[in-house]
Amino acid sequence: MEFRPRNYIAEEESHALPRSRADDHPLFAPSTSSNHHKVDVVDHESHDFFDPLRSPAANAVALNKDVEDGESSSTVSSEAAAEVSVKEWTTFKRFLMQKFPVSKMVSVSLMPDVIIKTGKANVKDSTTKHLKELDDPANFAEEDVKVITGQEYVSRLHELKDEIKRAWTAEDRVTSLKLSIKVARLLMDTSVLQFYPTLFVLVAEIMDMLGNLVWERIKQKAEFGEDGSRLCYLSENFKEINICVEAKETCNNWFCKVGSVRELLPRIYLELAILPCWRFLNDRPANSLQRLVLMTRGLADPLASVYCRLYMAHCARKLPSCDTGHLITSINDIKILLTRVLSTKEAAHGKSVDNRRLLVSLMEPTIEYIMKCIFKDASQRQVGTVLMELGLGRNQVELFGSNPCVSVVLHHLLKELPTEIVGSYAVEILHLIEYSNDKSYDQCLNYRLLGFRLCERRPTLDILNAAVDRIIQVVTLLDELDDFLKVVDPYVDIILQNQMDNHLNTILEGISERACKKEIVDNDVVGLQSILMKILSHFKDLEDVFALGHFLEILDVMYGSSRISIDMQILNMATRNGCINDPTTVQLLFEICQALHDGIDFVNSKGDDYQAARLISRFVLMVDYGAEMERHLTFLVECRGAFGSINELKETLVHSSNHLATKALKDGRKHLSFVKSCIAFSEVTIPSISDHIRQLNLYIETSEVALLAGLISHSDGLVDSAISCLQSVDLINGSLTPVDVDGMVTSIQKLCSLLVIVPGNPELGFTHTLKSILSLITSQSWITSKIKIRISCAIVSLSATLSQNKLPYNADLEILSNDLLFYGDSSYVQELLSFSEHVLQNLVEIIEQEPSGAARGSMALEACNCIAASFKINHNIQPVCSKLIETAKSNLSTNDAYLQSTIKVLDKHLPTSGISASTTI
Amino acid sequence: MSTVEIKLSRSNRIYRPSEPLQGKIVIKSSSSIFHYGIHLTVNGSANLQVRGGSAGVVESLYGVIKPIKILKKSQEIRTSGRIGSGTTEYLVTVDIMRGYLHKSLSATVEFIVETDKADLLERPVSPEMVVFYITQDTQRHPLLPELKSGGFKVTGKMSTQCSLLDPITGELTVEASSVPIHSIDIHLLRMESILLGEKIISETSLIQTTQVADGDVCRNMTLPIYVILPRLLTCPTVLAGPFSVEFKVSVVISFRSELSKLHKKSDPTTPRLWLAMETLPLELSVCTRRQQFIV
Repeated sequence: MEFRPRNYIAEEESHALPRSRADDHPLFAPSTSSNHHKVDVVDHESHDFFDPLRSPAANAVALNKDVEDGESSSTVSSEAAAEVSVKEWTTFKRFLMQKFPVSKMVSVSLMPDVIIKTGKANVKDSTTKHLKELDDPANFAEEDVKVITGQEYVSRLHELKDEIKRAWTAEDRVTSLKLSIKVARLLMDTSVLQFYPTLFVLVAEIMDMLGNLVWERIKQKAEFGEDGSRLCYLSENFKEINICVEAKETCNNWFCKVGSVRELLPRIYLELAILPCWRFLNDRPANSLQRLVLMTRGLADPLASVYCRLYMAHCARKLPSCDTGHLITSINDIKILLTRVLSTKEAAHGKSVDNRRLLVSLMEPTIEYIMKCIFKDASQRQVGTVLMELGLGRNQVELFGSNPCVSVVLHHLLKELPTEIVGSYAVEILHLIEYSNDKSYDQCLNYRLLGFRLCERRPTLDILNAAVDRIIQVVTLLDELDDFLKVVDPYVDIILQNQMDNHLNTILEGISERACKKEIVDNDVVGLQSILMKILSHFKDLEDVFALGHFLEILDVMYGSSRISIDMQILNMATRNGCINDPTTVQLLFEICQALHDGIDFVNSKGDDYQAARLISRFVLMVDYGAEMERHLTFLVECRGAFGSINELKETLVHSSNHLATKALKDGRKHLSFVKSCIAFSEVTIPSISDHIRQLNLYIETSEVALLAGLISHSDGLVDSAISCLQSVDLINGSLTPVDVDGMVTSIQKLCSLLVIVPGNPELGFTHTLKSILSLITSQSWITSKIKIRISCAIVSLSATLSQNKLPYNADLEILSNDLLFYGDSSYVQELLSFSEHVLQNLVEIIEQEPSGAARGSMALEACNCIAASFKINHNIQPVCSKLIETAKSNLSTNDAYLQSTIKVLDKHLPTSGISASTTI
Repeated sequence: MSTVEIKLSRSNRIYRPSEPLQGKIVIKSSSSIFHYGIHLTVNGSANLQVRGGSAGVVESLYGVIKPIKILKKSQEIRTSGRIGSGTTEYLVTVDIMRGYLHKSLSATVEFIVETDKADLLERPVSPEMVVFYITQDTQRHPLLPELKSGGFKVTGKMSTQCSLLDPITGELTVEASSVPIHSIDIHLLRMESILLGEKIISETSLIQTTQVADGDVCRNMTLPIYVILPRLLTCPTVLAGPFSVEFKVSVVISFRSELSKLHKKSDPTTPRLWLAMETLPLELSVCTRRQQFIV
């Protein structure tokens, strides 16, 4: 047996591809050459190719076009408008139900008979009888409060809806109407408070259903005669004159029936339900709304009143055209109601402050909806009229006079006002907010809303300046940090974008003053997060942010997830622009990392925390102390101490220290002790990394660095550590994924390539390390036969390389590598040869023992290639090769490309007769 | 099985004196039937009807007072003959005599005769409103002490001359009230009187209640009054010698009081400590808008 002598330089030259200079960089943006465009066009042509990046964009363009079309055409068909209103109403109902979810129990002061059924009704009867006997009024009143689960109540209402529908289909319309009246009556009881919005939604659905049934019936009567013949076809905008007497008679009957309901509330609801039917009787159906809205004033209960007005606003949208008069009356009446609710006299009536707050919050959605209806498609002139009618504006120019407004109403007005109006009247609105200060709504939130509205479309700079000046005056008077933050938040955007630096300073100072005065709470932190985030995203350079007065102080008082978000944002900014050189910045960022690290439990980290770990690692990697390498290493040591629980970071630390060492080496030998420190740092750090593959790679990397520095004993030690690390894989990791295993094999191969340049140790034997690696094959359970072949081949190749007179590569000219150390030493080559022979034998045995035929075939080919590359094919080797080829041929198809090319390689190296010839029969 | 049915030409069954009563008699029979004649009779009379529940003077007189005949007209439409099976329609008619072995087939249909307003009431429907004014001092019955001392004031106006098809309209304002208001209702009352010998017997019934305020409404806010008249329970005001039908409208304010809870079932128009009221005469006339309905 004999190793094949190699001339690596000659081989490289013969295998190198011819090189030619390129004019363009392939990754640069293409110049205006038409070629590239042609490619694009071809892409467009193929329809079956789905480009995930391109197609949604195309859709988006189409969508935008739709939106623009919708806006430009002022006359949207009434059908489409109706559809929109139906959709909006559905969304609104869902919002109501979600905002005020059904609580477990509903206590109803007077349990209506429609809700109590069968068994329960009996119970009630007996108690009332009993009470009548007693004739005790006090007891009577107490017993009247009944409790029922919310779910029961809801399901009973659904049943009622079905009953009404069933009665209608059975031509028993009187029952339908009677039941509907009973259902509407349920809304008279507002003692259920929280439950009222849900009750409203359910009742409104039933009313709408009844309204539709009546509408359809009368329409049917108008369009078809008694015998089913068609009388006419009612267009969408039909007139009263087109309606026959019979249909009118029926319609009139419905209004008479509904009008005879004794109680006010169900009477209004039922008339609203059939409101569109007025169109069969006269051409100005909206006239009824003016009367109905005034009738609603008779409902003294504020909750019942506002929800009735809400239903009115909803029903009014079903009419073809409708002015906003009744809506404005509604809002004005609601203002009076609210003033009454808020007056102290009423509060003394037994309504606690909490209850009042709940009441206002229950009323709020109705104001919101009605306001939306008022400002729907309102022109600027109409807005002026609306504001005057709401008692705010004096005339079309002075849209905001000095009359205050109930703050919750003002809030929703401000929400709906057109942006141009908000922009031009910002200062006036600000004044209005200032003197509209009552308990119905937090004044600060109105200031805040104005800020957001101003951000939508910037007014002129002088208005903006005046408004911001005023706001700054307002906030300086606010003592609570929470209030301060609420107001200031939207204005920070305006201030940043208009470079109002002095205001920014005032705000930051204001925050820091209030934050330091007393302990801040969760709510404040969220507010602070929003403001700091705005500042961070506005500035490009972190240094500018740090230079802002009070920024760091404010950052210091933050905690929790908001703090983490801000810290991460800062790190993101810090690490996106290359190296971080400034020591002060490094120190600040280090402290931020510490805060971030303390805020996250990295031991059990998952998901989001991974991002934080990545950012800290990236920061460590980006820090550059330049020539102060000692300082840099100290920094790494500090980091290891501070962020010990981040696994990923430790890997970064090793890379950084290795990088430092190589940087020092470039300066010559004078920093050798520093390099040693670096290597020592790495060596100490690696074992604390939990992942074995990472450890292995880092050992190899550090060993390379040590070798580069000429520190052979260090290098040897690190290689040993790498191998022992490999040996302990089995002990720690129960199961390895195929990817892990693959990585492991690659690392072992890399280790073998490193060993080419590590000088052999004659005391331990030249093949000591190789033997250690080989021993893994038998000791490690994760190593399958296929991997055994790959590792064995790597060892054989390594042995063959080590035997050469000139190695393919060297570490450093100052280190004597094996080719120089053992030049012409026959015992050295002999040891390698005998070791290789041993490996080769094992190799063949492993292949023979492999049970799977296909695997056996490819393993044989792999071994064969390795042998052909490593040994001279002589009489010793040739039988081995032939045997392997035979194994491959018997298990693989003769057309197998790998088999063919392997045979070719063997043929080339065979001095005499071809293997293929000798084996063909 | 044979049935007979009268179908009038107008679905609202309203005719005027000058107009003929038109319609169909529809006889449905599975087999042919023999009859001795078909008669159509029109009856008009003023009856005193006693409804279940009402008690007192009128009930005792029920047997005594004969219905006052206004109109009776009978007409033979067909002499005896035979009607074939299936559905047969005759223009106008009813009452089919079938000899002593069979029961006569008959059907009755109510129809309404409406006269033009000029025939009955000379005065036109006036759009004028009657102003009312209710305070603790306008009440003739005792009031709760706190109500008497604290006082209240409800003002308003109302149309008291109405056509049957128009609603009673008006408005009402609570200007002040020391005791919270429980409810404000408009009661519609009908007074029927009959001359019996020398005596006039009359009965008042509450025919409709319409709530205009539910709870302690805001002060100085104008509330509309809008009461649709119940068609089956109202007629034009009649003052016709032996009998008369008149109407009244009553505004009743009930104040919040523990006492009222004990008297839930009582007549809402009876004066009580917690009630204040104002009753106005109401004159109803036939519709002036009819022309637009019947084309």
